[in-house]
Amino acid sequence: MTNPPAAKEPFNLKDEVRRAVASLEMKSTSTHSTTSDLSIDEELNLHSIGWEQVELVSGISVFSVPAGLWNWGQGEIAGASKAHAQAFNHAISRIHKEAADAGGHGVVGVHIERSVHPSHVEVSLLGTAVRPIGASPVKPEEVFVSDLSARDFALLMVAGWQPLGLACGASFVYAPRRQMSAVLQQSSQNIELTNFTEAMYSSRESAMERMQQMAIALKGTGVVQVNVVEGPMPFATHAVGFAAWGTVVRLAKESHQLMHPQMVVSLNDPTAVFDAATLA
Amino acid sequence: MTEQSGVPDVAEQRLSASSFSSGLSVSDFAACLDMGLEPVGLVQGFCAVRTTSSLNFGNGPAGFTRSTSPYQLSSGDYVENYQCPHGMVSGEHRMWGQNYQQPWIENTWRQGFTNAFTRMVKEANTIGAHGVVGVLDNVTRIGQEGVLEFSIRGTAVRVPKLPAPSSGPWTTYLAGQRLAKIIEAGYVPVSIVAAVSSVRVWASCITEYLMEGSGMTMWAQNSDSVEVEQIVSARMAARALVRNSVRAQLHGDQLHGVELNIREHEFAKGDLEIQPVLRGNRIRRFKDFDPLPAPRLTVRLS
Repeated sequence: MTNPPAAKEPFNLKDEVRRAVASLEMKSTSTHSTTSDLSIDEELNLHSIGWEQVELVSGISVFSVPAGLWNWGQGEIAGASKAHAQAFNHAISRIHKEAADAGGHGVVGVHIERSVHPSHVEVSLLGTAVRPIGASPVKPEEVFVSDLSARDFALLMVAGWQPLGLACGASFVYAPRRQMSAVLQQSSQNIELTNFTEAMYSSRESAMERMQQMAIALKGTGVVQVNVVEGPMPFATHAVGFAAWGTVVRLAKESHQLMHPQMVVSLNDPTAVFDAATLA
Repeated sequence: MTEQSGVPDVAEQRLSASSFSSGLSVSDFAACLDMGLEPVGLVQGFCAVRTTSSLNFGNGPAGFTRSTSPYQLSSGDYVENYQCPHGMVSGEHRMWGQNYQQPWIENTWRQGFTNAFTRMVKEANTIGAHGVVGVLDNVTRIGQEGVLEFSIRGTAVRVPKLPAPSSGPWTTYLAGQRLAKIIEAGYVPVSIVAAVSSVRVWASCITEYLMEGSGMTMWAQNSDSVEVEQIVSARMAARALVRNSVRAQLHGDQLHGVELNIREHEFAKGDLEIQPVLRGNRIRRFKDFDPLPAPRLTVRLS
């Protein structure tokens, strides 16, 4: 185990395959099964920082939205924003519970599916629960959930940071209808529709603020890999929405660990060929 | 066909001829040869089944219709009832709702998949393969009649000078580089694994009001946003059931590279089927991980 790599026998894939196939004739001694949607690269990355996968886990929530609120009103569509926040939080606490039950300390590579319908908001989370190799279970509230891939998770840990959980903020806002006189006056002009612009800014501000609040509540120093979805709601003519989510991180070691990236020259580049397009 | 799950005679003749066919891409084919796996033939299995009871609730196994009590309908592990809190309102009002597992659908699906799978493995066995790599499976719905066609195929491979496997060939969805990496990491493929679960949701009055928007009618409890418990519970249960079903097939091995596909079908208003399919590679550790060096960050200079 302590031998330097150079002292190892040269690796022969054919022998290894033969050994692997022959081993199937022997009885398996393992009794502990795991399930995971990670690739083998991701599993090796996890292993390199002393973590292992345990179980595929999920969290779901569906929240109803009070009927008929999308089309008429002023300011924020509070019912929809609230339903979105609640759906997200409930889905997260369910995936926490599944992960903790399976013995995981965290969930990585979480696929986040969210959809906003006129009458309800759906959030679905699916990821692989992981833990330090052989570690004992933790409580559901101590589990972290992250949409970072296992590779990014490993990189983050090596750099001295730790993921704390998902933060999400969403806000839906009415774009107020213009006065009828303004509509008539502007009907033949190319102009900015300030009601929509302002609504976008307003929903963005509330959503980002909410995401930040969630990050602070998790005692994080920042949110990485933030995803943003924004735009008018397809089912309502005067409503716009903005949602942002990402993984909350905190520096776990005393300082950021410099990683000193090593320069490599790749030897599998495609051959340079004459490209007529560059002459044009 | 000589027996129920045997290989047709002509297929046997074709497979025993001296040339091989392979479904692998050229790069996967090259990687296979690199690993010392000799392709011996493209092997396939088919099976078509019919799942009548998924058509509508009138055709359930006990002949239930929406107007009769649903209790004790399910013979599965999961069943949950939702009572109407309103009392008798009108003839159209839903007095009850139920989530229940539909084992008869799961069993038919399993039968279809297993038959197609064993037929493919039998073909591989016939031509002396040690394993089947690069497996592709496909489930096609034929028409509206609840007929499913399972088609599984893969490339049978042989390890030269190794005795024939005593318990049939191993199988994996992986091929080429990804297969090589698995083995380098100390895992040997055992089998492909797939399972389905089926949960039927007959919405209660509350659930249906909520899905239409809370506060919609005088019967809804309040005008605030409320979690739709029945749907959430059914979806969580469907995922847990399919995972447990796959786990039961692992026997202490690992499930790698899982894919979860969820099909939700609304037969009628307030009548929903949730059907997740979970597939993956069952793999077994045959040697320890080599101690791996910590990942190193690189910048490509090109």
